[in-house]
Amino acid sequence: MATTTATLTLSSSDLLSNALSLSATQTLYKAGTTTGLDGIQYERMEVATGDIYDIVGSSQSNGIALGADKAHKLYVANKHTDETKYVDVYVATVNIGRLYAGDWMFIPLEVGAATQDVAVDAVSTSQVIEWCFLHEGKTLGQQ
Amino acid sequence: MATTTATITLASSDIADNALSVSNTMTLTTAGTTTGITETTGLARIKMESTSLTDLITVANVTGFTAAKSAKVYIKNTGTDSAKFGIIGIGDSGGTPTNIGRLYGGDWMLFPWDGNSGEDITIDMSDATATIIEYMVFFE
Repeated sequence: MATTTATLTLSSSDLLSNALSLSATQTLYKAGTTTGLDGIQYERMEVATGDIYDIVGSSQSNGIALGADKAHKLYVANKHTDETKYVDVYVATVNIGRLYAGDWMFIPLEVGAATQDVAVDAVSTSQVIEWCFLHEGKTLGQQ
Repeated sequence: MATTTATITLASSDIADNALSVSNTMTLTTAGTTTGITETTGLARIKMESTSLTDLITVANVTGFTAAKSAKVYIKNTGTDSAKFGIIGIGDSGGTPTNIGRLYGGDWMLFPWDGNSGEDITIDMSDATATIIEYMVFFE
């Protein structure tokens, strides 16, 4: 069992009349337990344009074992530096939102169906993303 | 213009042979610019006491919200029970939302939100034990 933590700090001195200072830390556990997640996949890649590409999901060649009762976690960051560039992020067929250059996201992920992949769609060339998938298990594809 | 930052730190000394240490700070800006986001719902806390699928954040109730921009949403399950969770989804509680994942006690998430019509943020609690859910939307 591993111990992995994810800490968020949200802060602003001028968004509200009073300063915003919010901090949250979670230990990444397997679903319904206090046993730490012990699988990890950390990648960096340039996203091709013209289509929606899966980055995490059961349909990948080394896909996640299906199951809604999981507590996978996914971090994705758009490493581009041009503020006008973004990637659309999909869960299944739903475009949940845009990650502009410099943005990141962190979500829990269940894969209750084979279609419940996470995918990205780059609106311009040369956009590099990094993503770290902390998971409960994957299945290697056969050669 | 306001300056709001969100920093994530992922850390582990034993998930692999080498330590994991990921740290990233983003500044919350309006879509396609370097201008800081100036609108927020503020931090909201809501007590969930039902297992009925419900809308946690409704697009129409976020006054001034413009869809398909660079909104960000923070949600936290402030519970302490690692076996109880809320399933967060995108869609409408009157239909069949697309589930993203489960927020167990103590878990948080931060993600971009397109918030087009019908793309509310839903929650479905695993049991009816009173649980406080926190959320905050940053939008334009």
